[in-house]
Amino acid sequence: MAEEKTKKETKPKKSDDEKADLIVKAAENLEKEFKEHSVAEFFKKNKQMLGLYGKVRTLTMIIHEYVSNSLDACEETGILPDIDVKIDELGDEYYEVTVKDNGPGISKDNVGKAFGKLLAGTKFHRLKQSRGQQGIGCSGCTMLSQMTTGKPSKIITGQHGKKPISLELTIDPSKNEPKIAEIKELEKEFRGTAVAAKFKGVLYRDSDQGALEYLRRTAIANPHAKISFRDPLGQKIIFNRTQTVLPELAEEIKPHPKGVTVDDVIYMGKKTGGRTTLSFLNNEFDRMGAKGLDEMKKIVDFDLGKDPKQLTWDDAEQIIKAFKKIDFIAPTTDSLRPIGERQIQGSLQSIVKPEFLTVMTRKPTVYAGGYPFQVEIAIAYGGGAGRKVGEETKMEIMRFANRVPLLFDQGNCALTKAIQSVDWKRYDIKDPENSPVTVFINFISVHIPYTGAGKQAIADEEEVLEEVRLALMQTGRKAGIYIAHRRRESENQQKRLMFYKYIPEICKALATITKENEDKMKKNMEQMVLAKLKIEDAKDAELKKQTEKTIANDENSFVMEEKPVKEKTKKEEKK
Amino acid sequence: MAEKKHKKESKTTEKVSPKQIAERIGKTAESMVKQIDKQQDPEFTTMQRGKSNVVWDENKGYLALGEKEIKRTFLNIAHARKFMQTTLIMQKTQEYLSHNKTASIREIYYELKHTIKDTKENTFEGQDESDPIIVDLEHSVDTIREKLNLHANPKGTLYGNVTLLDRMHHNDKFNASKLGRGGWSIMSRVEPEEIELIDTDAEYLLVCETEAIFERLIEEGFPKPNKCLLIGTGGQAARGTRRLIHRIHHELDLPVYVFTDGDPYGWYIYSVIKQGSMALAAHSEFMSVPDAKYIGMTIDDVKNYGLENVTENMKEGDIKRAKEMMAYPWFQNKEWQDQLKKALTQKIRIEQQALANKKLDFVATHYLPEKIRNKEFLP
Repeated sequence: MAEEKTKKETKPKKSDDEKADLIVKAAENLEKEFKEHSVAEFFKKNKQMLGLYGKVRTLTMIIHEYVSNSLDACEETGILPDIDVKIDELGDEYYEVTVKDNGPGISKDNVGKAFGKLLAGTKFHRLKQSRGQQGIGCSGCTMLSQMTTGKPSKIITGQHGKKPISLELTIDPSKNEPKIAEIKELEKEFRGTAVAAKFKGVLYRDSDQGALEYLRRTAIANPHAKISFRDPLGQKIIFNRTQTVLPELAEEIKPHPKGVTVDDVIYMGKKTGGRTTLSFLNNEFDRMGAKGLDEMKKIVDFDLGKDPKQLTWDDAEQIIKAFKKIDFIAPTTDSLRPIGERQIQGSLQSIVKPEFLTVMTRKPTVYAGGYPFQVEIAIAYGGGAGRKVGEETKMEIMRFANRVPLLFDQGNCALTKAIQSVDWKRYDIKDPENSPVTVFINFISVHIPYTGAGKQAIADEEEVLEEVRLALMQTGRKAGIYIAHRRRESENQQKRLMFYKYIPEICKALATITKENEDKMKKNMEQMVLAKLKIEDAKDAELKKQTEKTIANDENSFVMEEKPVKEKTKKEEKK
Repeated sequence: MAEKKHKKESKTTEKVSPKQIAERIGKTAESMVKQIDKQQDPEFTTMQRGKSNVVWDENKGYLALGEKEIKRTFLNIAHARKFMQTTLIMQKTQEYLSHNKTASIREIYYELKHTIKDTKENTFEGQDESDPIIVDLEHSVDTIREKLNLHANPKGTLYGNVTLLDRMHHNDKFNASKLGRGGWSIMSRVEPEEIELIDTDAEYLLVCETEAIFERLIEEGFPKPNKCLLIGTGGQAARGTRRLIHRIHHELDLPVYVFTDGDPYGWYIYSVIKQGSMALAAHSEFMSVPDAKYIGMTIDDVKNYGLENVTENMKEGDIKRAKEMMAYPWFQNKEWQDQLKKALTQKIRIEQQALANKKLDFVATHYLPEKIRNKEFLP
């Protein structure tokens, strides 16, 4: 916004046409430059921006690109995804990545576009909840592979009812065109796509930011997918699907007037089928009605009968100003596709295996006036929850944006900040950093407000922070009830043990002095302890009952391996 | 506890045999067993210690323990561990007493320390856990540690023409001026049953805070012509040393003069010898010497002996200590309030060895003889 303002202030006298002209020229120049520069050059220069820094991070990114591609392909064609990932170590910082799916496969004609053309851009300017590229896409992986090893990517792909093909793919960097070689028809049966590519200057680590953790979290957020992984040491890990229903496909939605920029308006105007600006506004924007258009007419000083393809920067700026002034109904939110409470519950129980779990999918809401978003939270406690660091268990934060795990830039992320802003002591988590807790947050939106091009952290939008915080507090409260209950139980247990452990020592000493029967003494003392604790238990009993009732009545909270509570939950569901 | 009703008579004359003490411990244990038999929470009763149960007995001139008792029970989270430790100490001391063995408080700690079965916990994690339990037991069976056949590490030295008899070691008879310059190392147990005071020609007992002054006085040949016995405490006087000072004063009828550094710490050493300490208030009557007199150093000495150049600055701890001492009932006399006030206003302290500034032998040839001749003491 600031840039736009300066533009206007420094060149106030220029006519709209002149300005438009300038923009077009600049764009043409850029395009020319872009073509003249080799794509490889662009790639190298923009590695940082593309998120390709750090050897471990780069390898995780590569896995992400291939896996997202597979998941998208399967979901769009109604196939339950089965994805195999393999990483082989070929040498020092030299690996081969193989990703195979059971998707629809790609035709001979389209393989090149999918894996061999950078910035092909089908996903740009499409307002739809999607996994999105993390920066480079599958073609980027092809490019990175040939840049670092000089070798082509090997692809096998088979479509239903057709013979599968195998081929080797490279990109001609000067033309940004795929080059296909060694193309062969295979005799075996295969549906899906498998890609194998080699990379140098990357590193595999079994760490919080490594490929395994990425896949584990991907499996958690995609309970309908089965993901198997073989690491460079040959260890195989399988994350089974816990859902056999595919998620509903997200629909493309019209942008809300409060959620667009000047640039968006000009771009949309060029693409619209509407003949006048009025019809363009009416057709292409969410929540735009007669009332809104009437107000529009009053605010802008140009004729709304103008061809939307001819909208100037100044016109578009006026439209945006008007959008800001006019009250629109909040954007439609039915386009958002959460994972779902049952689904998250299933995958966390199967993969994290906590003692206690509470899940919540909040209702959709809006940030910055025009962007619908939704938050899903789960708090898992005890058992396999938390991050194991040596002997200790620390809090584990699992952030997702549209089901995609965010492994990097944790400190900068609004989701992390929301977690830190919660007073966990109130929910009986005394030292949250060092507790066996896993906090799961999935942030869903057609437009994720990332902090940077690395797309690993969500910006501090006020509404986002507040919504996540609220959700954390609601789930935290439920977890707190359970944790307090657990603590009382274990305290009683500890108390009993504390008294019990001293009994042999005391009885031995007293028996030595008095020559009385030691065993009899022990028995009496043990009974004494039990009697005392019974009285204390009775005091807690009422509280305990309440806790159990609360958890049983809440269909989104689960205590694992405690049958009475579970059964009650099921009954509740049947009703 | 019936035993608690014992009147605390003059302990110097009380003759309690180890067997009797062992019986007292046995009775305590029996009463615990009886309670356990009835499935009642077993109790251990002892005297409450510390400031809240210490009283200043003005008539007797020493600190005494009040009447407050505390009960330690097993079925109390805060007590359970200590209760267990108490029974262990009871058992072990009873064993020492019935086998006529003695041990240091460090030895009993090591003898009882072991890992509790099925835990990672030790019966005692450090001697700081067993020491207070021993004091609890002393008070509970109304005796002193020495009579539990326990003793602390010895500290303190005796020199001078006094004849002693060690009943525990071949009935050795020895004279504390004939053991070389080092004198006799005061044992931590100096009960009459073990160490007997036979005879002396000394006219007073001089107690010195620092071993350095003790050695200086011996080197200068001070004790013989001045007809005195010397005790070096090496800082705060240990139990055995205090007990010996008490016995020399009472049994040999010698006046006691105390010579410490001129600072709150030194003055407090004097007050413990004279009036007893808060920690061992129950034992004051057979450890304290209310008739003891203070010889120096005083803040007045600085001016009187021209020691202005060799004073030291009071540290923050000294100032805090001095302020506390001004409030103690047993420092409520004109002379001591005066000293403390002077120290606090001038913020100085003066060490014994500062007298060497005049001459090495100044303390032996001038300072002490003059003070004693002129009876220049503080009460």
